[in-house]
Amino acid sequence: MLRIAALVLGLAATSTASALNVFVCEPEWGSLVQELAGDTAETTVATTAFQDPHRLQARPSLIAAVRRADLIVCTGADLEIGWLPLLLRRAGNARIQVGNPGYFLAADFVRRIEIPASIDRAQGDVHPQGNPHIHLSPRNIERVADALADRLRQVDPANSAHYQSRLDDFLRRWSEATEQWEDRILQFEGLRLASHTRSFSYLAAWLDLDIVATLEPKPGIPASGAQLAALLQQLTPNPPAGVIRTPYENEKPSGWLSERLGIAEIVLPFTIGGSSKSVDLFSLYDETIRTLEEHNH
Amino acid sequence: MNEFELSIIGPAFAACLLVLSTHVPLGTEVLRRGIIFIDLAIAQVAGLGVIAADTMGWEAEGWMVQIAAVSGALTAAFVLHWTDRRWPDIQEALIGVSFVLAATAGILTLAENPHGGEHLKELLVGQVLWVNYDQLLPVGVISASVLITWYWMRDHMRGFGFYALFAFAVTASVQLVGIYLVFACLIIPAISTRHIAGRRLRIVCGYGVGVVGCLAGLALSVNGDLPAGAVIVWSLAISALIFAWLVWPMMRNRHKQVEINFE
Repeated sequence: MLRIAALVLGLAATSTASALNVFVCEPEWGSLVQELAGDTAETTVATTAFQDPHRLQARPSLIAAVRRADLIVCTGADLEIGWLPLLLRRAGNARIQVGNPGYFLAADFVRRIEIPASIDRAQGDVHPQGNPHIHLSPRNIERVADALADRLRQVDPANSAHYQSRLDDFLRRWSEATEQWEDRILQFEGLRLASHTRSFSYLAAWLDLDIVATLEPKPGIPASGAQLAALLQQLTPNPPAGVIRTPYENEKPSGWLSERLGIAEIVLPFTIGGSSKSVDLFSLYDETIRTLEEHNH
Repeated sequence: MNEFELSIIGPAFAACLLVLSTHVPLGTEVLRRGIIFIDLAIAQVAGLGVIAADTMGWEAEGWMVQIAAVSGALTAAFVLHWTDRRWPDIQEALIGVSFVLAATAGILTLAENPHGGEHLKELLVGQVLWVNYDQLLPVGVISASVLITWYWMRDHMRGFGFYALFAFAVTASVQLVGIYLVFACLIIPAISTRHIAGRRLRIVCGYGVGVVGCLAGLALSVNGDLPAGAVIVWSLAISALIFAWLVWPMMRNRHKQVEINFE
């Protein structure tokens, strides 16, 4: 308790500096803000790698952070629909309301996949705006970085040059890293994997993975007995190399499948903090690829 | 406490007071009748009402959701009233069974219609910190009506009336503060004051326990940055223990002394 109180006090103390206050919904955007703004921004990240970004418990510090924010950076595409609108309304801060420069949604700036042709209510908690888990594709990070740097210049024109030079530097390092990753990922082409939900669709598209099955095809609804039986029947003759999930997803369904089929259960870090070595965007990608390499013999 | 913290606590505390206003008196009655889990059952069926409305294809929004929820809750109230008269000795068990039936009926319906699930979550897991003053107005009107009806009619309220009143109170409050806090506000003040003979004194003490618990919980939530609903449940329980073990024995002794002095 004392430590939490100290943290809150620390947060309050640091925010008195004239830094740009940024509220971030998911850790990956916290890392991107850090890359582009450095010490110029005080960042509060609402969720950790072990929390489902669809759901969030209201804590006083979240309201406080949104109230003093000059900029909020979230994924959008309805990912935070269950809590962000409530939080914005509760905080009553005009700078970061929908449509104002302080309101930045990363998914607005990339081409989203899995946009349903028609919204069929039987599909589960589908996102009519497409798959929101956009951050495991280097091209998407590039596009979001571009747009976010623009936005930082708009809300904090005094530091315009600072943001531009950090963006240039980041994009240079990012494209170098991407080139190295693209050499390493050739081996994954056509690698067959099962997945808990569709959290890794952009990664799969980039690595050319073959996601042969999804354990929770309708997100938010446990699979039925018939679906599981059909899945086993479909996968038994030619099992995939493993089953992947995020650190925050229930381990039971993938544990069940890996035991039945005798295949690997693979937890990918998914975002910053999802494994001890995933401390920024670069190491997140490194760790993701390294983890897959371990299971790809 | 600075202005900012007050602005966080203000609406949440007002929501807490509204919920307590109806639940403390209703809680003593629930405890007397031995139907402790009735609020869980009724809230769950209210949620089921919303899912059913959604499945039947009305796009449930705003008032429609509320009408569906209240219809569900009233249906549950009617059925539970009937079982209360038919099988009074197993009423508590039947309430438990209706809770699991409603909850699992929700799961079964949701297998086909997941969007109802979002409404169900909205309905059962209100979060007290995210309450706005404009949400409090309708709940205030409902609470006032429930209270007036209760104090006016409670001695004549043998059957369905009590269950119906309860359905309205629970449906309104669950959406504001969530099921855990509703249960705590209903039962905890009532058990901590159960030895108080005078009806009015008991309600006043129940309100005291509730208000102290809510304030302490919100203060802890702000200082420790903890989810408010869960902290308040705990602070309510502690407030109740302190009242039952320390405050009430002292009050009772003084009361006795006064009586002795009179003699």
